Amino acid sequence: MAEDEETGYRWETEYERSWEELTEDAAGLLQASVDEIALKAKRRKLLDKLGNIRLGMMRHLFIIIDMSAAMEDQDLKPTRLHSTLKLLEHFIEEYFDQNPISQLGIISTRNKRAEKVTELGGNPKRHISAVKALVTRSCQGEPSLQNSLELALQTLRHMPSHASREILILFASLTTCDPGNIKETVKLLKENNISCSIIGLAAEVRICKKLCHDTNGRYNVILDEPHYKDLLTQHITPPPATVSTESSLIRMGFPHHQLGSDKDGHEKPSMCMCHLDSKGTQGFSSTGYFCPQCKSKYCELPIECKACGLTLVSAPHLARSYHHLFPLEAFHEMPIAELNPSVSHVCHSCQAQLPDTNVYVCGKCQHVFCIDCDLFVHETLHTCPGCASSRTTQMSHMSLSL
Amino acid sequence: MSDRKKASLLVVVIDTNPVWWGQRLEDGPGKSLTQFLDSVMVFTNSHLMMSHRNKLAVIAAHTNQSCFLYPRTESQEAAAGGGEPGCSAGMNDGKYELFAQVNEQVMEEVKKLVLTSLEGQTETDSLLAGALAMSLCYIHRCEKESFAGEDLSSRILIIKGSEDNPSQYMNFMNAVFTSQKQNITIDACILDNESGLLQQACDITGGIYMKIPQPSGLLQYLLWVFLPDPTMRPKLTLPPKAQVDYRAACFCHRNLIDIGYVCSVCLSIFCSFSPICSTCQTTFKFLGPPKIAKKKQKKPNS
Repeated sequence: MAEDEETGYRWETEYERSWEELTEDAAGLLQASVDEIALKAKRRKLLDKLGNIRLGMMRHLFIIIDMSAAMEDQDLKPTRLHSTLKLLEHFIEEYFDQNPISQLGIISTRNKRAEKVTELGGNPKRHISAVKALVTRSCQGEPSLQNSLELALQTLRHMPSHASREILILFASLTTCDPGNIKETVKLLKENNISCSIIGLAAEVRICKKLCHDTNGRYNVILDEPHYKDLLTQHITPPPATVSTESSLIRMGFPHHQLGSDKDGHEKPSMCMCHLDSKGTQGFSSTGYFCPQCKSKYCELPIECKACGLTLVSAPHLARSYHHLFPLEAFHEMPIAELNPSVSHVCHSCQAQLPDTNVYVCGKCQHVFCIDCDLFVHETLHTCPGCASSRTTQMSHMSLSL
Repeated sequence: MSDRKKASLLVVVIDTNPVWWGQRLEDGPGKSLTQFLDSVMVFTNSHLMMSHRNKLAVIAAHTNQSCFLYPRTESQEAAAGGGEPGCSAGMNDGKYELFAQVNEQVMEEVKKLVLTSLEGQTETDSLLAGALAMSLCYIHRCEKESFAGEDLSSRILIIKGSEDNPSQYMNFMNAVFTSQKQNITIDACILDNESGLLQQACDITGGIYMKIPQPSGLLQYLLWVFLPDPTMRPKLTLPPKAQVDYRAACFCHRNLIDIGYVCSVCLSIFCSFSPICSTCQTTFKFLGPPKIAKKKQKKPNS
């Protein structure tokens, strides 16, 4: 944030000759050069990631979608709204994939009002179907920043203190219509330890910047659709925890999955708690997860038991988040000439012939990788194939500290 | 018939743990590594025979390293004479060159692997997570290199006999989640010890987990159960799915627990309440009755 303030606007900086970085390859094509720049940029982003900071792993996030008339603009194709909702679907999926024990809620604002689209919850399907349904809604009037913030605040302030409380606003309008002084709301948000981030679809607005700055959020304005997607994905990784976030031990249940094919035939089909209100036969079966405390049945995890309030998860859900906590260290970049020429130059993990330029070496196991594997390992796999296949280096940070 | 050319990449991870295979030798004849490799090679040849577009990789999970058995590293192949298939001795008997090449290479690499790892400490478990990570990287590369218009579906088959290694849990799970994300099915064929880790892996990625009752009939099981592509599987009558235990093991005693306490900072699991997290040294605030009281108030409203 502080860095942003110093750099100022792009048009105030020096003239950049970005085209001079491109060089033609032997076939006279630019593609190789462009690809290389893209890969380098990705790598730089990976290097920026900090390790060993305390993260807010249990997130409570409200997404506020601007549904004002400004959302109908066609600078994003086909309209800002369509583009936003499409990206949002992807975001929700990824969010729950990376933050399995977190919750999400959606608020829309139009006609100077705020309206809750979905309550805070942990079921991605419910949110995605709600987002899909928003496409048919028309965008009208002006948005209200204050009303929607207040609405999110009402729910978030009651969330437990060990969880991170966040608001993400996708704001298309350049104006807001508020009933009172928004600065009071900002102060209230700050007191309640809620961080607000805004992704602007049009241009930078002073009040948005102030809101984000005061509440420790991030404020960005999109350049185009890929940039928009990029900014959204940045919000998928859990944010660093604030000092005032309290830590606590949370009681959780790890339910058994009961299969219907019981040999004794004693198992009787029953309704699951998540589909109690549904009219159809959905949820009526003999399989499901049973709460270890009160034996209520659920067909999906993770969920908070409706009967006894116990958080029900499975071990893989927790394991999904471990890579945020124990990130893989970046590999060192090294020109291939420095390698020992007597050994064969193939990437340790994918067996590809290494290119003549730079190779990537893991600091722990000293194995050599190509740039494709380097990116794949750091972006998706989060485990060094070299370290994992050697007995001395396979131990992760976690097991070392145990 | 669709125009898209379907290709299938199969990565076979074989467990070559010397301790476990040594024990098998004592059980009696007919259960040695050589016979096992014969079965695996017939199976891999059958996979290649299904379609000429099918691809194959074989990786060994050894006790102190994981390495590729097939395809052999390309620079070595180049040194061996331009990688020309059929230049080996196996082609004299009229065998399909590719099969001879695969079989010879796998045999040779296993021999090399066994001979190089004679010294040093041997453990009773294999480095499966490393082999899995390597196969994912290899699949990632193959998918990148596949031609436009070619449909490359990939899967991994793990044939394992030795024990699980709990210290690999995080690496292993990372690999499993990656394969789930990349739509790669993980199948497991268990020769001896039931593996909780692989049960979860197969369940998460939608593969088949099977402990074979008779190791001498390995080839039968491989051909009947693991040869068909995942797209074909719904049409077949396959062994029913086993129950998967998703309970977590607590970090303090490694017991499986039903209800436990999870640290909000590092997500460590404990079986009883303690004021300080032993993993990340955080001190906890006690959270108790107020939460339950709040829930009770909420209920009549909904």
